[in-house]
Amino acid sequence: MKVKTGNQRKRHFYDGILQGCTFLSSGISVLVLIALFVFIFSKGWSLINFDLLKNNYWSENYSVETLTSQSDTTFERPADLSEDAYFSEKWGIAFVDHVDAHKEKMILVEYIDENSPLYHLSDVSIRKNPKAFELQVGMQMTRLQYTDQDGKIQLAGGLAGHGAQDLVNTLDQDAVSVDAMYIQTTGGGIRGSIISTFYLLLVSLIIAIPIGVAAAIYLNEYARKSKFNMMLRSGIETLTGVPSIVFGLMGVTVLFPVTQIFGATTTSILLGGLTMAIILLPTIIRSTEEALLVVPQHLRDASLSVGANQSQTIFKIVLPCAVPGILTGVLLGIGRVIGESAALIYTMGTFINDSPTLLSQGTSLAVQIWSIMSGEQPNYELACAISIIILFFVLILNFAVKVISKRFSKAWY
Amino acid sequence: MKFMKKMTAFSIACLMGLTLAGCGGTSSGDDSITVYSRDASSGTREAFEKANDMEGSLTDAAVTVDSNGDMATKVGQDANGFGYVSLSTDFEANNIKALDYEGVTPTEETVLDGSYGMQRPFSYVTRADGDFADDRTQALVEAFIDYLCNSTEGQQVVQSAGGIVDLDKTTPWAELKKNHPIVDEDNSDLTIRTAGSTSVEGTLKAALEAFQAEAGQFQFTMTQSGSSDGYKRVLGDEKDGANAADIGFASRNFEDGEDVSKGLLTGQYCIDAVVAVVSADNDAVTNLTADQIKGIYTGEITTWSELK
Repeated sequence: MKVKTGNQRKRHFYDGILQGCTFLSSGISVLVLIALFVFIFSKGWSLINFDLLKNNYWSENYSVETLTSQSDTTFERPADLSEDAYFSEKWGIAFVDHVDAHKEKMILVEYIDENSPLYHLSDVSIRKNPKAFELQVGMQMTRLQYTDQDGKIQLAGGLAGHGAQDLVNTLDQDAVSVDAMYIQTTGGGIRGSIISTFYLLLVSLIIAIPIGVAAAIYLNEYARKSKFNMMLRSGIETLTGVPSIVFGLMGVTVLFPVTQIFGATTTSILLGGLTMAIILLPTIIRSTEEALLVVPQHLRDASLSVGANQSQTIFKIVLPCAVPGILTGVLLGIGRVIGESAALIYTMGTFINDSPTLLSQGTSLAVQIWSIMSGEQPNYELACAISIIILFFVLILNFAVKVISKRFSKAWY
Repeated sequence: MKFMKKMTAFSIACLMGLTLAGCGGTSSGDDSITVYSRDASSGTREAFEKANDMEGSLTDAAVTVDSNGDMATKVGQDANGFGYVSLSTDFEANNIKALDYEGVTPTEETVLDGSYGMQRPFSYVTRADGDFADDRTQALVEAFIDYLCNSTEGQQVVQSAGGIVDLDKTTPWAELKKNHPIVDEDNSDLTIRTAGSTSVEGTLKAALEAFQAEAGQFQFTMTQSGSSDGYKRVLGDEKDGANAADIGFASRNFEDGEDVSKGLLTGQYCIDAVVAVVSADNDAVTNLTADQIKGIYTGEITTWSELK
């Protein structure tokens, strides 16, 4: 049948509009994604370094006293000392001004002479049990207590509102003897949150994978088509849509007593892990079921026909073929755990813990972002830096799961 | 069918033009005030409302933000924004400008001598006598409160973290610590748990860190979520729950419903001032009276020109 020219044009026109819409939509989504990445990387990239990964969030705090409080020699400024550093000739120590990732100003030790009276110190933080302490480059001089010419005790350092230059001037001109110091290590790192995130992943996956996979096998392989089973299935599907904060509330009220049996006294990583396991269950059940569905029926028939019973067929033939699908579910689950914050704020607390254990509070990386942004002074740069690290994690896990699923998959279809 | 094509193209062009015109209309030459406010559980909001006698009369047009930092950011980004933050906020970094109140510039001096009106105390309350994890924890908490409130070192730390204190009324810690033998022990197995106001976080963190070095490297956890949780998690109905704490903080005086007399220790350790702020790009105002603030807050004054 011959199409009229008018109709043809009209069709071309509508086709063009539809095509244009798809082009436009994909263009917009790509643009938004690029903008997001550019924003995160431009803000956060400058803060990414190894120190951020390996440092504790909290400073270690030491109260130290000098062994010899007076200096009778003169030190020479080392030639390779940077120009920003202020050097005290009397005490053989150099300081620099520094602004940390939290935008706090501080004075850091840039250089210390081994013969300086400020090098070998006594850590009296535990007064009954003093320890030898060596002042290290990079430590923070928060407060320094000295005696001036008139025999009066005076305070200097970051807490007294000094900069590095003021501190050096005070040391060289006023201080007859230096008696005690309050030293801090620089904190602000995310080591603790990385460890907490791994704990959280471990607990939630260890609980959610076996239960989820077993439930999916029951629903797909054993269960008959009864009304009860239909309800069970739609119930699980509904769970996927429940907001995570509701699970968080349930966790802190219903699951907290469970963790108390294990000895938890506060909200804890264990509680967070249990809650996340429940959040993950529907995802893992769904994806396992999908994976089991696509295993061809003739495989099961062949297995049964050579004499294997149903359980043998399921666990030795069907399940190995479904591994890639299950792993996809696990991958989605990992992404969910790493990105979750609302439920974890209730169940794990918002205290950034440097040495997390299963029964202590801790923050995952996402909760640390929340914690940083909800403070008195929101810190976009640090939040973006942590976001970049989260993105890296997800990328690495993605690849790892793909590689693993390729190796272990027995499916050939 | 060429007609159809032209019509479609024309109508799309019209639509785009209208949208652009619409956008332009709302953003240029606008004089109306956008009021930002904290949620009802905020201690800062309570201090702000009480100081100006306008409890519960917030205009419906107000935008609610969820923290002091959030407020500073949002007002800084909105040239017509009006909000309130604590004096310890970093004004420059957030691009906001502090306004005088009744002709008094908010500074530490004017807050301490009481001439600046919008101020609030940072109060604390501890668990009841004998209700701590053990006797050593109780002794350590007592020592910490003494350090925080009365020692020169502790108050200096609070001051450098943004709290307003009177250093003339303090005693050197070397003298005070004689009453607290616990601080000489190895306390690394003890934990002090704090709860309550988020406003106290900066000063409290600095004080805890400094005290850690003075008192045997004890551990601490801070779960700051809002002033109303301060009493609840220490003496109230959550005191044995998952979020129980040893010291609760509020960035206001404790209320009648909060019976803090049961606590072992209670009091205040520094003062904070609430400051009305606008964006640093806003040249319309530098000083507001209580009546003007009330007018803006309740929605009776809606444009900057009404303030001139």
